[in-house]
Amino acid sequence: MKPTHSINRPRLAPGARYHWDEVRQQHQIVFPEGVLILNESAAAIVRLCDGRSTEDVISVLQAQTGEADLSGDVHELLDRLAQKGLLRDSQSPPPPGEG
Amino acid sequence: MSLPKSRGPSPQPSPRGRGGQSAPNPYCLLAELTYRCPLQCPYCSNPLELNRFRNELGTAVWQRVLGEAARLGVVQVHFTGGEPLVRHDLTDLVRTARQLDLYSHLSTSAIGADHTKLSSLRDVGLDALQIGLQDSRPHENDWLAGAPAFEKKRQAVESAKRLEFPVTLNVVLHRHNLDHVDEVVDLACRWNVDKLELAHVQYGGWAFRNRAALLPTENQVERATEVVADARDRVSDKLEIIHVLPDYFQQFPKACLHGWGRVFLTVAPDGAVLPCQTAREIPGLVFPNVKETSLEEIWFRAPVFQRFRGTNWMPEPCRSCDRREIDFGGCRCQAFLLTGDVAATDPVCHLAPQHGVVEEALKEAANRSTDLQFRVFAS
Repeated sequence: MKPTHSINRPRLAPGARYHWDEVRQQHQIVFPEGVLILNESAAAIVRLCDGRSTEDVISVLQAQTGEADLSGDVHELLDRLAQKGLLRDSQSPPPPGEG
Repeated sequence: MSLPKSRGPSPQPSPRGRGGQSAPNPYCLLAELTYRCPLQCPYCSNPLELNRFRNELGTAVWQRVLGEAARLGVVQVHFTGGEPLVRHDLTDLVRTARQLDLYSHLSTSAIGADHTKLSSLRDVGLDALQIGLQDSRPHENDWLAGAPAFEKKRQAVESAKRLEFPVTLNVVLHRHNLDHVDEVVDLACRWNVDKLELAHVQYGGWAFRNRAALLPTENQVERATEVVADARDRVSDKLEIIHVLPDYFQQFPKACLHGWGRVFLTVAPDGAVLPCQTAREIPGLVFPNVKETSLEEIWFRAPVFQRFRGTNWMPEPCRSCDRREIDFGGCRCQAFLLTGDVAATDPVCHLAPQHGVVEEALKEAANRSTDLQFRVFAS
C-alpha cells in the first residue's frame, strides 16, 4: 500500500480504545463489537497517537528503538488504521488532562 | 432487545484456561440488566414469561460480576435488556466497567436517553451506543414499538453524535417493514449514524409466537437483499451496513453466537448465566446463578456451558460436515423450538433431516395473515 502521508496529528477515533488484554497477553484496539490485535511495534505506535504530530510519533519511536528511519512503517500503519476508521486526524493538540 | 449478531474475533484457547479445559475465554458479556422495557415489540427475544424474572440483581452484585468478567478475559460488555436505562444505577455500572478497562456498549430503545443522560454516561466512560429502530416511518415505528418512540430515537441519535459516540442503528426486519429498507438506509445516512445493522427477526421468544405474522415472503427477501447490496455500494464511504439475512430462507444455519460457550456469555436480570440470551426456552437446562457461583467456575465447569461446546455433541449430518466449525450446527434454541430435540441439526439447514418443518412454516405464513401479539410485561 502506498502511504498517503495525510495524517498530521493521529488520534484514535471516537469509540476506539487501546487495551492491554492481560488474560490473552495481547495489545488490542477495541471498537464497537470488534477487536484488532496489535503486535508490539504497532502497539508502540498506537500508544503515541494522542494528538501529537506524526513527526513527533516518528522521532519518539526512533529515539526509543535506535532505528534510523521508521517513517515508512509509521505512515503505513496509520494509513491502515485510518482506512478501518479507527484513527482520525485531530486538528489541534490534545486538550490538557486527556490521553 | 434484538439478539446480538454473531460476529467478533476468533477465540483462541487461553493459556489461563484452567483444569485442562480446551475452552477459550469469553470476549463478550451480555449484561441483561432488566427485562423491563417501555416498548412492546412483537419480536422481542426476552422470555415469554417475563413476570417470572422480576427479581433483579442489585448494583453491588453487578459490579462484582463485571470484575469477574474482566478477569475471565471479557473485553466488551453490552448493557442490554429490556431497557437498561430504567435501571437507576446504570451510570455506576458503566463507571465500574470503565475502571476495569472493559469496553462498554449500551443497547437502548432511546426512551430515557435524553442529552443529559447520554452526557453523564459519556462522562463515566460509556464507549458506544446501539439504538433500536422499528421502522423508517414514524407512524409504523410507533405502532410496532407500542409507544410514541420515533421522535425520541431521532433526538437520541442527534445527541449521541454531538457527544461523539459511535452509533449503530439496529433495525429488526420482518414482513411489515422489509419493503421500507431503502428508506431505512436513507434515514441512517440522514441521521449520520456510523453503522446500520439490518437483522431479520430470529424466530425465538415473542417472535416465535408471532412467526406467521412476521415471516416475509421470498419475494420480499430477494428484493430487500438487492436493495441493500446496491445501497451498500452507494453509501460505503459514510455508512457501514451489516445485513443479517433471515435464516429460514438460507441454505445453511447461522453460526449462532460463534458457537455455544465460545465467545459470548449472558447474565440475565435475575443472575442466571446463559450461554445465549434465549437459552431459557430450552427445558431441562440448569443455569447457575452469579449469586452462588463465580463466572469463571460457570464458564469452565457448568454442565450447561459444556453441553454444546465444540463438536462432540453433534449428530449427523453435522458431525461429518465441513461446516461444523463454521456454523456449529446452528441455533440450539431453534433446533428445540422446531423439532423438540435440542441436539438436532438446526432445521433451517437444507441438509437437516427435519428441514421440512421450515418449509412448512414458510408455506403457512405465505397463505395466512395473522395479527401481531405485542410483548406485555404486566405490572
